[in-house]
Amino acid sequence: MDSRDTILKKLKANKPEFIALPKINPDIFEENIDKIKEFIRKVEVAGGKVFEVTDNKEALSRTQEAFPDTKVNFSNLDDSGFFNTIDSESLKNPHKLNDLDVLVLESTLGVAENGAVWLTDNDIPVRVIPFITKHLILILSKENIVSYMHQAYSALDPQVLDYGIFISGPSKTADIEQSLVIGAQGAMSLTVFLV
Amino acid sequence: MSHSKLAGIFNKDEKKVDWHDKALWFVRHKRDLSVHEVKGWEELRNLGHGIKAHTLSHLDVYLEQFEANALKNGVQVHWAANGDEHNQIVHKILKENNAQKVVKSKSMLTEECHLNPFLEANDIEVIDTDLGERIVQLAKEQPSHIVLPAIHKNKLEVDELFQEHLGTKPCNGDPQYLTGEARKHLREKFIHADAAITGVNFAIAENGGFVVCTNEGNADMGAHLAAVHIACMGVEKIIPKQEHLGVFLRLLARSATGQPITTYSSHFRKPRKDTKMHIVIVDNGRSEQLSRPDFRASLHCIRCGACMNTCPIYRRSGGHSYDATIPGPIGSILSPGKDLTKYSTLPFASTLCGSCSDVCPVKIDIHTQLYKWRQIISKETPQPFVKKKSMAAMGKIFSKPSLYGKVGAAARWALRNLPKSLINSWPNTWGKTRDLPVGPKQSFDQWYKERENNKKDDQN
Repeated sequence: MDSRDTILKKLKANKPEFIALPKINPDIFEENIDKIKEFIRKVEVAGGKVFEVTDNKEALSRTQEAFPDTKVNFSNLDDSGFFNTIDSESLKNPHKLNDLDVLVLESTLGVAENGAVWLTDNDIPVRVIPFITKHLILILSKENIVSYMHQAYSALDPQVLDYGIFISGPSKTADIEQSLVIGAQGAMSLTVFLV
Repeated sequence: MSHSKLAGIFNKDEKKVDWHDKALWFVRHKRDLSVHEVKGWEELRNLGHGIKAHTLSHLDVYLEQFEANALKNGVQVHWAANGDEHNQIVHKILKENNAQKVVKSKSMLTEECHLNPFLEANDIEVIDTDLGERIVQLAKEQPSHIVLPAIHKNKLEVDELFQEHLGTKPCNGDPQYLTGEARKHLREKFIHADAAITGVNFAIAENGGFVVCTNEGNADMGAHLAAVHIACMGVEKIIPKQEHLGVFLRLLARSATGQPITTYSSHFRKPRKDTKMHIVIVDNGRSEQLSRPDFRASLHCIRCGACMNTCPIYRRSGGHSYDATIPGPIGSILSPGKDLTKYSTLPFASTLCGSCSDVCPVKIDIHTQLYKWRQIISKETPQPFVKKKSMAAMGKIFSKPSLYGKVGAAARWALRNLPKSLINSWPNTWGKTRDLPVGPKQSFDQWYKERENNKKDDQN
């Protein structure tokens, strides 16, 4: 018998009698919070910045103003040609993205209770890009902010996802004497534009 | 070595112990502030407990479901009965892919299996990429905490370590500078890695996916650049459905560091184009623990570390005093199940105050299990001579009230009249670092009776 069958057999023999699966009732966690205010507060606590803008175009131009001297910029938004310094061809070798300065992406889901923004393979040209970039800019519609993680998962089909990620703030660590340092192995800054 | 002996070593540096104690209590405090913000927190803990208890009662079925779905997703699944088999499987995958350089994100399971020394002995470079883990790896030590691996090191020690291994300039332990240098060093490693190994926080039966949580982004940097991703998980990491992540991701980071969620919560399901993804499912004693009704709830653990941060013993004895992969209260109920003799002192490294159970996000009855392990250990492993004899004597004294009264009077007299050198002599371990109080003239019983009599006199 191989290890798979041995393990499964042992688990079957050793498990307790069947215990029913509890149901999640998200209503019991519900508070009357201002979702947008709460989202902004939580992104800021996580070390990110939030700005409200009228549209994607304004978000891109505000990004350029904030990072006037960067050499390598990329966005997959429509009409981002003026912003991009690299084409989508050069994304094919992710190892060459190490000098990416600014990346602008659009998300379809945000969570108020923790300031997390959701990205999937559909929103990112290559998986490593939101981590390898120095500065990450995310655009999110206010209408797509939900209160809690329960609502977030209700909106996500478990059978469709290939890769997805919740990002809350820039990369950080406190592994040296508990001193918080922003910019560990991933992005050194995070900005969210709410439209 | 026993927990108390190892704790004694840690306690030699009193200043460091004070810092360690306060730093962890601060993390516990941040946890409190964070959970008090959540309406229905206790209900959330109940759900966490209930989902885990259900899953364990159906574990074989969920694992098979998980495997079938992972295979459908194009992921290869391997099973390992123990640590050795786990290491061999990982090595075989690396060999098949000609992988010489490996980056690894935090995984307590691979620590448990001693994967790093095994791979290094086979000429494979393994780099731990979590900053805290990289620090302890460079120092040739083990993590002393499951969330804060280098909490036992001060910044000057890290400074020296980085000067020696990474060629940094002396900086008086500037965390910003040291983290920046580690970032550059690890970037190089990520770019040139042939394979990435990660742990698994949660594996989802219904879709074959798994979630990895980090603050640094190191798991993703590794997994998305290397051509091979190997994710290693214990059998107990399974949850039935994706919607259950809503419960566990709300519980995990708040309990660990007080953050409402970790910076990155990555949901892996299918490998990216032209790359391979492997999952290694490991038993290594877990099925054994599942067979013990009193202790199986220890398998609910989601590795947040809250029980360590709150534990008055852990905070003052340091993680290395437990000499186990998982230290602290949760480690003290997991380890005896693996080796009762080796870990026989761990369940005694507790005041049984119950704070660990109070903060546990999945409501494991940790302190009750500590007490139950004590019962088993006292029966099944040899106990120190003095402890055994004194326990037997105490048992006699406590069972006879007249004897108890006489011994009490003698002890009170002794504490008033005998010299310290005699009172604190070797059988009295309590007296090693403390003085006993001066013995009162009356026993509590005498004092109470006298007080009642005085009351009556007053009324008359």
